[in-house]
Amino acid sequence: MQLVLSWPVRLFIIGVLVFSLFVDGAGYIYRIANHYPLTGNVPGLPPNFGGLQLYIHRGLDLAGGTHIDYQLTNFPAGQSRADVQQRTIQVINKRVNSLGVSEPQIRGAGNNNDRITVDLAGVTAQQAQKTIGAISKLVYTKWVADSKVTNGPEPGYKPAFVGLTGDDIQSATAAIDQSGVSWVVNISFTSRGAGVFDNLTRDNVAACPGAGTDCPQRHLTIWLDLTQKDIDSWEDPNYVSKASAPYDTGCLAAQTPDTICGKFLTDPTTLQEISGGQAQISGNFTQGSATDLATGINAGSLPVDLQVLDVTQVGSTLGAESVKLSLAAGLLGLSIVVIFMIIYYRVPGLLASIALLFYAGAVLAIFKVVPVTLTLAGITGFILSVGMAVDANVLIFERFKEEVRAGRTIAAAVDAAVRRAWPAIRDSNTSTFITCVILGFVGPPAVQGFAITLGIGVIASLVSSIVVTHNLLAIVMTGSALRRPALMGVDRSVGAV
Amino acid sequence: MSELSDAAPAEQAADIVLSPDKPKEAQKEPRPPERRVRRLNIIGRRNIFFAISLVIIIPGILSMATKGFLLGIDFAGGTEFTVTFASQPSVASVESAVAADPLTAGGTVIQTGVGGYIIRALPLTPQQQALVEDDLTKRVGPMVVQQVIEVGGTIAGETIEFALLALVLASAAILFLLAIRFRNVPGGWRAGFQFGGSALAALLHDVFLLTGLFSIMGKVFGLRIGEIDSLFVTAVLTVVGFSVHDTIVVFDRIRENLRVSQRLSFEQVVNLSIMQTAARSIITSFTVVLVLTAILIAGGATLKGFALALLIGIVSGTYSSIFNASPLLVVWRRLQPLR
Repeated sequence: MQLVLSWPVRLFIIGVLVFSLFVDGAGYIYRIANHYPLTGNVPGLPPNFGGLQLYIHRGLDLAGGTHIDYQLTNFPAGQSRADVQQRTIQVINKRVNSLGVSEPQIRGAGNNNDRITVDLAGVTAQQAQKTIGAISKLVYTKWVADSKVTNGPEPGYKPAFVGLTGDDIQSATAAIDQSGVSWVVNISFTSRGAGVFDNLTRDNVAACPGAGTDCPQRHLTIWLDLTQKDIDSWEDPNYVSKASAPYDTGCLAAQTPDTICGKFLTDPTTLQEISGGQAQISGNFTQGSATDLATGINAGSLPVDLQVLDVTQVGSTLGAESVKLSLAAGLLGLSIVVIFMIIYYRVPGLLASIALLFYAGAVLAIFKVVPVTLTLAGITGFILSVGMAVDANVLIFERFKEEVRAGRTIAAAVDAAVRRAWPAIRDSNTSTFITCVILGFVGPPAVQGFAITLGIGVIASLVSSIVVTHNLLAIVMTGSALRRPALMGVDRSVGAV
Repeated sequence: MSELSDAAPAEQAADIVLSPDKPKEAQKEPRPPERRVRRLNIIGRRNIFFAISLVIIIPGILSMATKGFLLGIDFAGGTEFTVTFASQPSVASVESAVAADPLTAGGTVIQTGVGGYIIRALPLTPQQQALVEDDLTKRVGPMVVQQVIEVGGTIAGETIEFALLALVLASAAILFLLAIRFRNVPGGWRAGFQFGGSALAALLHDVFLLTGLFSIMGKVFGLRIGEIDSLFVTAVLTVVGFSVHDTIVVFDRIRENLRVSQRLSFEQVVNLSIMQTAARSIITSFTVVLVLTAILIAGGATLKGFALALLIGIVSGTYSSIFNASPLLVVWRRLQPLR
C-alpha cells in the first residue's frame, strides 16, 4: 500500500485531474478561447480538439431518433458472409459520418449475418431515410453505339458495364481543387480498381485522341443500382429519361421490380489516362453538389444489396422534462449523500466527498473521450458505480473506526484500514466487473450501455477510493491539527479495549 | 500476529450464547449502542429470516407462473398518434395533457417539429382513440391528426432472452470467482463453493423477490407502476451486481475472522462478521436509498417504476446479504462439515 502513496502515483492522479477538468469543461474552454458568451448557442460546438469531438453522446432513448433494420441480399459468391457484413457496416458508417450524423450505432444482426440495424440519434425517420436512403450498388459504364437510342446522357449510345463497381472504390471525398477555386470530387481506387481504371481510361482516350476533343466513347459514367435489365430497356425513350435522372435515394430505397428510379450519378469526360488509382471529377460543382456526389459514390461502394425491413422513429422514452426532473433528483440525492458522509465521518467524509467529485469528473471525461453513448440505462450504471465508490470509502472508514477503537494511533489506523478493507473492495468490485463484461458481450443493446458505464465506473471508483482517498487521508494526517479523533469521526472512549 | 479488532472472542462467544435467553438483562446495562447491536443473534434466528423471505417470494413466484407480467408500452406495443397542434404548445404542456387522460396515462410524447408530436399510448380501440383525440383537443387546443397506427412491441422476447442468458452466465462466473477467492479458507475448494453457492442463492433471492413483487403489483393489483419494460430488465441486472457486492463484503470478513479467531465456532465467526459489517452494509444501502428515494419522489413520472424496482432490489440485496447469505452458509456448512 506504500506504493499508492508514492509521488509518481500522486502525479498521475494530478494529471488525470487536469485532463478531466479540461475534457469536462471543453465547451467552456472553447467559448472563452474564442470570446463567445458562456451560455446560448455559439457556432463550432461541440468543440473539436485534435480530431476529438468532446461532448456527451446521448443514446436513442435520451435524444430520440430513428431505428432502421436492413436485410442483406445478393451476397457475393466466394466471400465470407461475416466479412461482407462487416464491410457493409463500415460503408454505412462512413456514409452516415460524412453527413455529420452524430453517434450512429450500426450493428450486425441475424443468424446468418444477413441483417444490419442502424440507430441514428436525434434524427427523424424522414431525415434518416434521406441520409442513408438507398444504400445501393455503384457501377461504372462506358458507352457503345446504338442508333435506336434517342435520349439519355448520350443519345445514340447505350451504356455497357466495364467490370468496375463500388467494390473497387476505396473512398470518395469532396474537396477544393489545387487552384483553390472550384469544388471537385476525389476518388481513390483499390489496387484492383486502379488497374481496371487505368486500362479503361487508356482505351477511352484512344477512342478519340487529342487534348480537348470529346466523344461519347471518352465518357465513363457512374450509376447507382444500374442493372442489365435497365440497359436492355435503353431503346425505350420513356424508360431512359426516368433511369438517367439524378439518383433518387428515397425511390431506390423502396424500389420494387416495377418502379423506375433515377440512377444517374455523373458522366465525366476522361481527360487523360489515369494510372495511379487517384481520379478527380471536376465540373461546375458547388460544395453541396460535390458533397452529394461523393456521398452517392460512397453509398454505392457496397458489396451487397440492402433492403429496408423496418423504419421506426424512436422517441426519447422518457421525454425531456422527465429526464431533467430525474437528473435534478439524482443530483439532490447525491448532495444528501455528501452531506451525510461529512456529518457522519467528519474529515474523512469530506475527503471522500472530494474523491467522489474527482471520480465523477474523471468518469464523465472518459465518457466524452471514448466516447460512450449514454442511455438511461447507462446513467443508471454510472449512478450505481457512484454508490460503489461511496461503498469502498465506507468500508475503509468503518474499518478505520475499528482500528482506532482497538487502540491504534490515527496514522497507523488509516494504513491498517486501507490494507484490511482492500480484499473486500477488490473481490466485490471484481465480481461486479465480471458481471459487466458478461453483460457487455451477451446482453441486449440496452443492457450493453449499462454494462459499459458500470464497468468504467467500477474501475474508476477503485482508483478513486483506494488511491485518491488514501492519499488525501495521508496528507491530512501530516497536519497535526486535524488528527484529533473527534474530527476523524471516532470517539476513542467508546469500546476501547 | 493475530489481531481481532473487536470484543475479545470469549466475551463475544458469551454474548452469542446468552443473548437469546437474556435480552432484557442486556438492555438494562448502560452499554454504548455498538455493544448492544453486537448482541443480535442472526444465525440463531435464521429460520425466522428464511421464513420472511419465503413469505414474500413464494406468492411472487406463483403470480409470475400463473399471471405473468404487465408489459410496458415498449414491450407490449401500443397506439401511436401523429398530430400537429395549431397552438404550438410546449412539450411539457402536451406531456401533462397526456398524463392527465386516463386512457393515455403513462404514454410517451415525442416532439417532431414545431407543434408536431407523436404520442404513444397503450393499445386503444377506435372508440377510445376518438375519445383521446377529443380530450387532447380540449386540453391542449385544436390539432390535426396525421395518422393513428398500432405499433408493435420492440423485441421484448429477445431482450428478456439475452438478459436471462447474461444472468445465467454471470451467476456461473460469480460462483467460480467466489470459489477461487474463498478456496483458502479451511475446507479448500469445497468451502469455496459453499461461499459461492450461498452468494448465488442470495442473488437469486433478490431477483425472484423483485420480479415476483412486480408481477404481483402489475397483475394482481393492476398497478401501472408494476409494468415491466427494458428499464426494469436493467434494474434487475443492477440489483444482481449490488447484491453480490454486499454479500462479498460480509463473506470477506468471515474469511478474515476464520483466520484470526480459531477458537470460535463457525457459527460464532459468521455472526461476528455480520455484526462487524452491518454498519457498513446499512450505511452504503442507505446512501443509495437516499438517491433512489429522491428520484422516486421528485423524479419524472416515467422513471418512478424504475426507481421503485431499484429501491426494492437494493433493500432486498442488503437484507439477503445479512439475513440469508450468511445463515445459508452456516446451514450448508452443517450439512456438509468441512472443518
